[in-house]
Amino acid sequence: MNIIYVLIPIAILLVIVAIAVFFWAVKTNQFDDLERQGYSILFDDDLKKTDSDKEKENSDSNGDR
Amino acid sequence: MEGIQHTGCYHCGLPVSQSDNFRTVVLGKTRDMCCPGCQAVAKAIVDSGLEDYYRFRTELAEKGDEQLTQTLAALETYDDEEIIQEFVVQDGQAQQIQLTVEGISCAACGWLIEKQLAKLTGIRQVSVNVSSRRASISWLPEQLKLSEILTKIENIGYHALPFQPDQHELSYQKEHKAFLKKLGLSGLMSMQVMMLAIGLYFGIFGSIDPQTKSYFHWVSLVLTLPVVSYCGSGFYISALNSLRAGYVNMDLSISIAVLGTFFSSAWATFTKSGEIYFESVCMFIFLLLVSRFLEHRSRHQAAQISANMLKYVPLTASRIHGEQVEKVLARKLSVNDIVLVKAGETIPVDGEIIEGASYIDESMLTGEFEPVSKNVGSDVFGGTINKSNVIKVRVRQGLKDALVNQIIRMQEFALAEKPAVAHFADRTSRHFVVIVLAIALISYLVWLTIDPARAYWIAIAVLVATCPCALALATPSALTSAMARLNKLGFLVKKADVLEQINNVNTVVFDKTGTLTEGQFSLGKFDNFSADSSEHVLNVIANLEHYSEHPIAKAFAITDKLTVLDPKIEVGLGISGNINSVDYRLGSAAFMRNAIPESMQWASVFLETNNMILACCSVQDKIKLGSAKLLSDLSSKELLLLSGDNLVNVSKVADQLGFKHYDYGHTPEQKLKKIRQLKEDEKSVMMIGDGINDAPVLAAANVSIAVGNASDIAKRSADVILLGSNLDNIPVLFEMAKRTHSKIKQNMAWAIGYNLLILPLAIFGLLTPWMAVIGMSLSSIIVVSNSVRLTK
Repeated sequence: MNIIYVLIPIAILLVIVAIAVFFWAVKTNQFDDLERQGYSILFDDDLKKTDSDKEKENSDSNGDR
Repeated sequence: MEGIQHTGCYHCGLPVSQSDNFRTVVLGKTRDMCCPGCQAVAKAIVDSGLEDYYRFRTELAEKGDEQLTQTLAALETYDDEEIIQEFVVQDGQAQQIQLTVEGISCAACGWLIEKQLAKLTGIRQVSVNVSSRRASISWLPEQLKLSEILTKIENIGYHALPFQPDQHELSYQKEHKAFLKKLGLSGLMSMQVMMLAIGLYFGIFGSIDPQTKSYFHWVSLVLTLPVVSYCGSGFYISALNSLRAGYVNMDLSISIAVLGTFFSSAWATFTKSGEIYFESVCMFIFLLLVSRFLEHRSRHQAAQISANMLKYVPLTASRIHGEQVEKVLARKLSVNDIVLVKAGETIPVDGEIIEGASYIDESMLTGEFEPVSKNVGSDVFGGTINKSNVIKVRVRQGLKDALVNQIIRMQEFALAEKPAVAHFADRTSRHFVVIVLAIALISYLVWLTIDPARAYWIAIAVLVATCPCALALATPSALTSAMARLNKLGFLVKKADVLEQINNVNTVVFDKTGTLTEGQFSLGKFDNFSADSSEHVLNVIANLEHYSEHPIAKAFAITDKLTVLDPKIEVGLGISGNINSVDYRLGSAAFMRNAIPESMQWASVFLETNNMILACCSVQDKIKLGSAKLLSDLSSKELLLLSGDNLVNVSKVADQLGFKHYDYGHTPEQKLKKIRQLKEDEKSVMMIGDGINDAPVLAAANVSIAVGNASDIAKRSADVILLGSNLDNIPVLFEMAKRTHSKIKQNMAWAIGYNLLILPLAIFGLLTPWMAVIGMSLSSIIVVSNSVRLTK
């Protein structure tokens, strides 16, 4: 049972780390907008190619044929 | 995935008329748009490769700006040094600014703006906050100008302006963060202490040896210390403040319970004897913080929304200085300066015309969209818009005395009149606390005579059990849920207690122009006396009106372009011109050379040739689509139409919509008087309006709603802002208010019932503090989950 004399302080240390991270998050406004970030994953970060790019691609592939 | 389904304009959802041809290809399909504004915005979005916006948005966009080029030109003034200094924060090389962004309706908007701005060179960082409708932007001034950033946002259909949060809001924000930290810390610590406590409660380690037990107690003490000292600090401070002010509040009984439990548990840990309730203390503080946080957040949201209205619109003016014209900020103008105002510009300050004649749009003051004709010697007012010709104005009053400001002051005065409903809650809780403290003290004294060893913990149990935690959550949790739901339905509720007041409303007062009608003119009755077809005559009228800046001109659509020779505009009267070698004159009755017969008196626009009247017609303001339905839905209430317009126009709208009562020709003061009179007659008044002239009235009514296209001042004084101009949803507001009210009642009944039930148990010593805490938590959870059902 003596192991708990080591484990509990370690658990406390981990909690302190968690609290430090949480305080940092509050301080840097991570909790300001809770509606928005859930959607971020839906959006492509890579912008779609514009029409002119596509046309260029098409003509390239046509040329290959 | 195809995004949201709707009929009407693909971009904003407004109805699309068959004759218009505004189309853009979005997501591989041709989409109909309602106006060139929406078309331009949609095209800008598609061209920059951000079509995903349409796929993932959950709300429709705002209608695009049809006068985009004008709006964009005005943005250049934001590059002025003075404005930069006032709003921009220097951050090393970069500059940083806060913008309010109008038109944000869902998460996709935030993404769209961020992606669009990221493409500009010189942008360092953009973060858009969807819930507060703001953006914080940092950029490098050598590579990019502020006006370019604003232009980019404007191009995709949002309106961004710099603003500075006021002192009030800054302190709210600070408190908000402190709450979050306290909440997080107490939550995490409660878990740890709870874990140890469960070990102790159930003796999971078999027969727990005293040494381990004492070790657990010490660890719990260490973990509880930050919770009691930091997280609970707000309660002690508030309790002390109230004592100093000579009364008691809820926080006093909370402080006694928390500190009493903590110190005696700590004493028990030191002496290794007695009861220990650290986990109860932690849970207690955590749950109390949850309820306080909910309450704070609902107020915070409201404050943010009203602060957004405080955005800064710098008015610039062209001051004539000898021979030269120079651009200055309007607030630098002094009395007797001469200012040049071009067509389409806003008149910067109050003054008198000394040269030129023009039509002035005073709708923001009077609420009526029909421009007023002004000549040399006429007074013009700051904030009104010069519609047609160049005028020179002599400044009569500095900006701070302008009529607009006077109206704002009037409205602030009316706001101060509002009774604070909150006082009632405060008073009741004060009595409640006194009773609780008395009961705790009495049970302590009685138990001292029966069993002195238990007296202390029984008193604590009484304090914890009667803690009005669930009671305190009952109202804010229901209001927050209701506000979240209403926000989704397109309402911004600025003050939470409005929801309670809506239930009492028995009289609904409407403004006419811009609220029930669209503020855009359309052709009404038309009579043709010529030999030509009506289509031809209307086309002639439209071609002539094409030269006019008067808003009535927009009522006529050109079907076939004709060449107009020698068009002449007589300000305030009409237009003359030659089409296919016929001389036409178009305008008001006073402009006609031929006599107008009695039978045509109803008309407001006439067309004549040199020898006869060809046609006459009336123009009317279109009634909004949802108006009729709204009125029939609200038929159980007393309805009143209150307008500044003339009898003919007001009675026409009143008849069409079925108003029994209407008032016309009212100035803002008269409207205010009317509302006050209704309130004196013991009526609870809801006012629905939009113009600046409605602002004082909105503030004076018990409940006020500003429709979406309302002026900023109207939005500032209203309790509820309707996003978008659709009136259909207003009955939902009533229904939601009713549901919220019954939810609050249910919550209250439960919370009070629970407290009354548990109190005797605590007094008779059947309840230990930890049981009291668990009971209290369960009771709070039941209240919150009941409230959350409102969001569905």
